Amino acid sequence: MTSGVESQRRSPDADLPAALRVRSLDVTFTGRRGTVPAVRGVDLDIAAGEVLVLLGESGSGKSVTARAVMGLLDPGGVRVSSEQIRVAGHDLTSADPEQVRKLRGQTMALVFQDALSALNPVLSIGDQLGEVFRLHRGLSRRAARTEAAELLRLVGIPAPDRRVRDYPHQFSGGMRQRILIAMAVALGPRLLIADEPTTALDVTVQAQILQLVDRLRRELGMGVLLITHDLGVAAEIADRVAVMYAGRIVETGTVAEVLDGPAHPYTAALLRSVPDLAQPGDRLRPIPGSPPNLLALPTGCAFHPRCDRVTEECTVTRPERRPLAVPGRTAACHHAEEAVDAPV
Amino acid sequence: MPPSDHPAGPGPASADPAGSTPVVGTPTALSVSAGPNTSGPLTADSPANGEPLLVATGVRKTYRAGRGLGGRSRVHAVDGVDLTVSAGETLGVVGESGCGKSTLARLLVGLERPDSGQVRYAGLDVGTARGVRRRELRRAVQMVFQDPVASLNPRMPILDVVAEPLDVHRLARGATARRDRVAELLEMVGLSPDMMRRFPHEFSGGQRQRIGIARALATEPRVVVCDEPVSALDVSVQAQVVNLLAELQQRLGIALVFIAHDLGVVRHVSHRVAVMYLGRLAELGPAATVYQDPAHPYTRALLGSVPVRHPRERGRERIVLAGDPPSPVDPPSGCRFHTRCPIAQDVCGRDAPALLVPESDTPTAAGQRLAACHFAGTP
Repeated sequence: MTSGVESQRRSPDADLPAALRVRSLDVTFTGRRGTVPAVRGVDLDIAAGEVLVLLGESGSGKSVTARAVMGLLDPGGVRVSSEQIRVAGHDLTSADPEQVRKLRGQTMALVFQDALSALNPVLSIGDQLGEVFRLHRGLSRRAARTEAAELLRLVGIPAPDRRVRDYPHQFSGGMRQRILIAMAVALGPRLLIADEPTTALDVTVQAQILQLVDRLRRELGMGVLLITHDLGVAAEIADRVAVMYAGRIVETGTVAEVLDGPAHPYTAALLRSVPDLAQPGDRLRPIPGSPPNLLALPTGCAFHPRCDRVTEECTVTRPERRPLAVPGRTAACHHAEEAVDAPV
Repeated sequence: MPPSDHPAGPGPASADPAGSTPVVGTPTALSVSAGPNTSGPLTADSPANGEPLLVATGVRKTYRAGRGLGGRSRVHAVDGVDLTVSAGETLGVVGESGCGKSTLARLLVGLERPDSGQVRYAGLDVGTARGVRRRELRRAVQMVFQDPVASLNPRMPILDVVAEPLDVHRLARGATARRDRVAELLEMVGLSPDMMRRFPHEFSGGQRQRIGIARALATEPRVVVCDEPVSALDVSVQAQVVNLLAELQQRLGIALVFIAHDLGVVRHVSHRVAVMYLGRLAELGPAATVYQDPAHPYTRALLGSVPVRHPRERGRERIVLAGDPPSPVDPPSGCRFHTRCPIAQDVCGRDAPALLVPESDTPTAAGQRLAACHFAGTP
């Protein structure tokens, strides 16, 4: 919808094909308790070298979106459909599973939240990292290990030549997350998807990991889709932000635009509910009610039962996401214009 | 969230605003902090009626670490902590994972007995009290746990979950009194009493945490220790529970110990803050002082790691600590922070610094801050 404008406006590498372009992604889970519309009508655009932060609470569909793009959703019990998914020029919509498998690692890579369970405890780090090179590049074990050490150096692990022989349990949480990132960027992917990469980490280590991701996207020119529930992470690293609620993107814009003038009442409420270190003492203003149940979504706008701008219309008609006056900004709210102009 | 023009960190304006902060929301006596109070601000470290309720002196706790070679290695979880918690006060405890926050919580409520040192409540030793006294302690000092799913029995209706402490301490005679008291407690935490026949799985995360709080309040405790009470909750729900705890604390005048790794939340709820590093206190003092003018380099680094509020602050000067905290199995000698400290000198590796008033601090009426650093206050 807006990718052309945005990639020109934002991208340091405007000539390269967009790292990611998604149109009308739907994901539906079918289970005994009914069908769950986990993701509905998601559009995403990420230029080469750009960081898009996908912001949302648990159950909003962030991780499912990531897995759908990567082709990692288990075919049993889930239906994925989309008009288009393109990763660095490769069309995934029409690709068969084998072609998608080859693109994983090579062209797009995923970093999980839980670094300990994402690593094999009985293989040395060198073997796990090296496996990428042996499988995709056909390198010998020895050559692969050298490459692995080089990767550890790239992600800032001290004494990489020695540590390449160590096992996952010998690394700290932050180091393991670095190793996962190393594994993901091993083959120079055009798109890195990081699913809550710092959620399990302390703030001190989180700051290091975000710096690392930021450096790598510059050095390697990757597009990054970073999934988080933490507004601070977005403020720290995002170029653009897409906010998800109940399976849909409700707002997009540059990070400054969204933080300065949220166009969706949900984003505004989220910003108000987080304590501000610089201005303590005020009462926090929580969002009333609970996150929505996807099995029984409210009529009209899914946010309307918790919204402070709710009107009759919101309870009946679901607002389509539409472009706002500022190029590149979109919002799915009947009252987006009022919301943008309101003081946060 | 008004995007502040001030960079985070030492900066904006005066100490904590006393009556000057406009109280948003219901302007009742329940509003958090900064409420106009005849005797002065509630935010300083001498809140309303500042008698120390819980006093920890030189508390130490080590655990045996695994079944490693010889099994001799020990985790030094808490290593000589002194602190007090007063009625009507919220003491925040922050630090990285593994710094001993949770062990400290368990020591404070008597779920663990210290290897040495003491935790005293109203003159009673929390670790060793037996019989009637132990019951008295259990009643007076309660705990709210991090995981609202794991801490509620899935096979008990909420009525029984909340009533269990009433039964144990024989605080409600008869089924009607029991039910009425549970209804009252549920209302206190913002849940409808109609829900008392339901089971834990029928509630959302935030509601379950409210149930945990209602259960903790059942015995009318004087001290409530909350170990990461909002970390498992969604951002939009966190604020509800944070506000609830602050309201209850003001209304009931309890002493609250609020342990969390989220520095923003701790700043928001706490009168005083303790910063822990590898089992020891690095800094302890009024929240406003510790956050706005940290004296310990670790506190500065911790605050510097908090993500910015706005992208325009990205370039701000900050210390990003290298590496992770060292292992508490074999903690560094001297000052435990010296291996990561940007201003460490030789002495730091040799001598452990005592928790003292930094020389650069001027004495204030609002309460003194303490820091354990040979170079406390050195920028």
